[in-house]
Amino acid sequence: MANGVVNQHISKQFDDELENVRGKVLAMGGLVEQQLNNAIKSLIDGDIDLGTTVIETEVQVNSYDVSIDQECTKILARRQPAASDLRLVMAITKTITDLERVGDEAEKIAKMGLELTDKQGPKSYYVGINAMGNLVSQLLHEALDAFARMDSKKAVEVAGKELESDDQYVAILRQLITYMMEDPRNISGALDAVWVARALERIGDHSRNICENIIYLVEGKDVRHTSIKYMEEIVFDN
Amino acid sequence: MQQNNLNLAETNAADSEEVAVTEPNTTTTTHAIDMSSIVKPGVDAKLADEKVCIEVNDFNLFYSGAQALKNISLTIPEKKVTAFIGPSGCGKSTLLRCFNRMNDLIDGVTIDGTIKLEGKKIFDKGINVADLRRRVGMVFQKPNPFPKSIYENVAYGLRIQGIKDRRTIDTVVEKSLRGAALWDEVKDRLDDLAMGLSGGQQQRLVIARAIAIEPEVILLDEPASALDPISTLKIEELIYELKDKYTIVIVTHNMQQAARVSDYTAYMYMGEMIEFNDTSTLFTNPNEKMTEDYITGRYG
Amino acid sequence: MNLRIKNWFDSGTPFVWLNAGAVSISVVMVVGLITLIAVRGLGHFWPADIHVFDYYATPSETPVRLMGEMVDEESVSRSRAGNPAYKGEIIKRNLIKTGNRDVSGLDFRWILDAGIKNSSLPENAMVVERHEWGNLYGFLTGLEIDGQQFNSSKLLWEKFQETISKNNEIFDQIRHIEKNLIGAINYKMERLRLKERGLELKEENTPDKIKALVDKREILQTEYNSYTNKLEELYNVLNSSSFIAKTAAGKEIKVGLSKVVRAYQPNAMGQFAKLGFYFEKLWEFLSADPREANTEGGIFPAIFGTVLMVMIMAVLVTPFGVIAAVYLREYANQGPITRLIRIAVNNLAGVPSVVYGVFGLGFFVYFLGGSIDQLLFPEALPAPTFGTPGLLWASLTLAILTVPVVIVATEEGLSRVPRAIREGSLALGATKAETMWRTVLPMTASAMITGLILAVARAAGEVAPLMLVGVVKLAPSLGLDGNAPFLHLDRKFMHLGFHIYDVGFQSPNVEAARPLVYATAFLLVVLIIILNLTAIRIRNSLREKYRAAEQS
Repeated sequence: MANGVVNQHISKQFDDELENVRGKVLAMGGLVEQQLNNAIKSLIDGDIDLGTTVIETEVQVNSYDVSIDQECTKILARRQPAASDLRLVMAITKTITDLERVGDEAEKIAKMGLELTDKQGPKSYYVGINAMGNLVSQLLHEALDAFARMDSKKAVEVAGKELESDDQYVAILRQLITYMMEDPRNISGALDAVWVARALERIGDHSRNICENIIYLVEGKDVRHTSIKYMEEIVFDN
Repeated sequence: MQQNNLNLAETNAADSEEVAVTEPNTTTTTHAIDMSSIVKPGVDAKLADEKVCIEVNDFNLFYSGAQALKNISLTIPEKKVTAFIGPSGCGKSTLLRCFNRMNDLIDGVTIDGTIKLEGKKIFDKGINVADLRRRVGMVFQKPNPFPKSIYENVAYGLRIQGIKDRRTIDTVVEKSLRGAALWDEVKDRLDDLAMGLSGGQQQRLVIARAIAIEPEVILLDEPASALDPISTLKIEELIYELKDKYTIVIVTHNMQQAARVSDYTAYMYMGEMIEFNDTSTLFTNPNEKMTEDYITGRYG
Repeated sequence: MNLRIKNWFDSGTPFVWLNAGAVSISVVMVVGLITLIAVRGLGHFWPADIHVFDYYATPSETPVRLMGEMVDEESVSRSRAGNPAYKGEIIKRNLIKTGNRDVSGLDFRWILDAGIKNSSLPENAMVVERHEWGNLYGFLTGLEIDGQQFNSSKLLWEKFQETISKNNEIFDQIRHIEKNLIGAINYKMERLRLKERGLELKEENTPDKIKALVDKREILQTEYNSYTNKLEELYNVLNSSSFIAKTAAGKEIKVGLSKVVRAYQPNAMGQFAKLGFYFEKLWEFLSADPREANTEGGIFPAIFGTVLMVMIMAVLVTPFGVIAAVYLREYANQGPITRLIRIAVNNLAGVPSVVYGVFGLGFFVYFLGGSIDQLLFPEALPAPTFGTPGLLWASLTLAILTVPVVIVATEEGLSRVPRAIREGSLALGATKAETMWRTVLPMTASAMITGLILAVARAAGEVAPLMLVGVVKLAPSLGLDGNAPFLHLDRKFMHLGFHIYDVGFQSPNVEAARPLVYATAFLLVVLIIILNLTAIRIRNSLREKYRAAEQS
């Protein structure tokens, strides 16, 4: 397990079930990732059609969430998985919750974009948001990539990058406050932008959670609410 | 058989001298040996806090030349449930049967290494095997009540010890049957044949029979493998209750059962002790890949 | 067509038929055997009608008047019947029991059916069973009691019966005195004689000791004399009466009433009276001593001897066989030697039984018995005590004959006790011996009894070895009686199997003995069935108890 290579179970059916649910998680991840990218794009470009698509995609994501959850329950009940299998199922249930939240946040961004477009069209302070959006999207992508490959080292790396998004969030916040102080008429638009930044920051957090799940899955140690340094110790010492 | 015993005695005699030199602290009056010196540091942190009941050191066992147990070393903590799991033929039952020297009954068995019960070597020459078995009770895979009444089954061990006082026996029978959670089901038919009970009841009767002579250790050799799930759960519940008073060692093929009832679990493979660990750790995050493969169903 | 036959074979039907056929044949054979001996044997006790008729040996000859029971009839070819004067290629002839051996010399006659004329069944025809000379067939004509003559035809029969029953009572008294009282005295006298001889041998025959013995003997002697006086009186009473009977031919015979066992008039009896008579005779057969070279009377001593011998054998063989089996199975190292012993034991069961008889005679009787006599009973020598065939040696010989069966059955039982039960006991701190004693042996009990059943069945039916080691034609006393030490292992005894052989082949009167052969054979079969059923019942109740344990 540690090297990410899954030996075959004696029960081929169990293998198929696990593979199936893993595949669904990756599909869900892909969907959410795309949703996020489209949300950011629709916001930046003021693309109403794209924003609407994002909102509609949310239904799909939710149905993925429910169906994967059901399958995990079924595996728990019928297979009583142990050790790595158990950790895989647990990690998946947690991961899909995070992905679903990411989807929610993306939807929120898209809605915000639609509202902003109605109000006054693209504004210069979206530049920062765009950069942060790209970074968070990158984080999510890499987290999902680590999940697909069960790569705990990559997961630690991604979790480390999440700190950058926090920094960016603080920078954007500062910038937006400056805008608001410059001209009170900007306040309404800037507050919306704050919400968007806040959503992106949450997505970063969820990506980090996914990374923590991966580390739990691969290393068997719960690293939530710990420092990156501790994670590195766990991952690189073994 | 005679010959075999002599062999055992010889190997032990050689052993005891050696051990006396290397482990001077085993002769202390309390059997609470400092676990930290025995267990692997870090991994078995929890085990280090336990009192030792049975200690196995470099134990080897041969069936007419074929090695069935290879260099087994482990410590079984007192008043805890320790489970042995592993594929068929891995030696877990053989090891269990060494604890009350049931393997003496098989011709051509030779051993080497030591097993200590509360600090005393059980394969020593001076050990009275019947006495040892009184201290280390055993319950077998299939319920094996004697073809006698329920009452006589429980009283058997006492009668062997020569206890004749009816009142004493009555008290012990009731206490043991209560202890085995069987009293309410059989109190009105103590004189019926034990064969009339259901499989699960028979197995609990056998446990009652074992605890009637107040052993220190109870060995359970796949006690629920012949029972239906509800009876199995009753036995498991019983094991949970019994561990307050007795050290329990259970061999089981059912990993979920080991996970449910035991505090510590040992995984054995081909006569070797692959991993001995705290049960929750072993079942969520085993140290060894072989254990992992076995418990996740990748073995084979 | 071929295909159909092949299909028929493949369906297994032929084998079912084959098996069913074999079973039916076996059942028919067993039932047939038992029915044949039962009918032939038990029919003997039924009071047959007495025919009185004129018999023409040839059509022209003067007829003889005969009376008797029809026993058998057959149709034979002319030449086998001795070319009689009657016509026909197939001649029918009857075997009739005419009795009156003292008069005519033979009591069975083959007569030609065609020669019978004027046959009738007179109600006053009577049969008198006698202590000697067999049955008397005739008509009662007179009685003579204490010199008094009775000729009145009305009450004659009643008076006759009355006297007979009175006589029988006296006879019982005589028997009691002769057998029990005088028998006991004789036994004590013999003991005194042996004691005296013993003292002589040990050279302790001091005058006072001898005197004590002589005194005792004198007391016994007076007792004996008083009994003989009593006997003489009784015999006088018995001999004082006689009866006169007329045979069919008209000849008058006078017979002492002391010789009469019973008299009856079968032609006058109703069905119920016959039934009552039948059971009386059957009871006599079971409970009385034999008479007339075993051809009349009962076979009680033989039944008693058989049962006693089988019981002593069972007592000897069970512990011996069980202990041997326990050692072989539980304690001995399983190896070539035990295997060899097992083969030897199994082969012992196949040795012809007469060989055991020879062994018993040579080893037990001559060697062991002879040595015992030398050591323990020197006073009786040269007359042997144990150095002669007897109950003990017969039982021992049969015990050796049957011990393999018990060993094999017990071993089988021991191997059926599951390992789990033994381990369960050992795990509770029981030693091996405690486990054996408390758990394994009780569970083996049913197997032991199975072995015993087989042993008993074989022993009860065995004859050949017994002839060499203790069975006799007529034993004067039973192996178990009121004289201390009650069980006389040195005595000879009678046995049903040997009785059959003796009556059937050694009897002077073959025709008279034949029904008894069947009756005795039937009794032997019934006895074995009873012994077996008892043992099977015990076994089944035990097996019921342990079945569940054995299956687990």
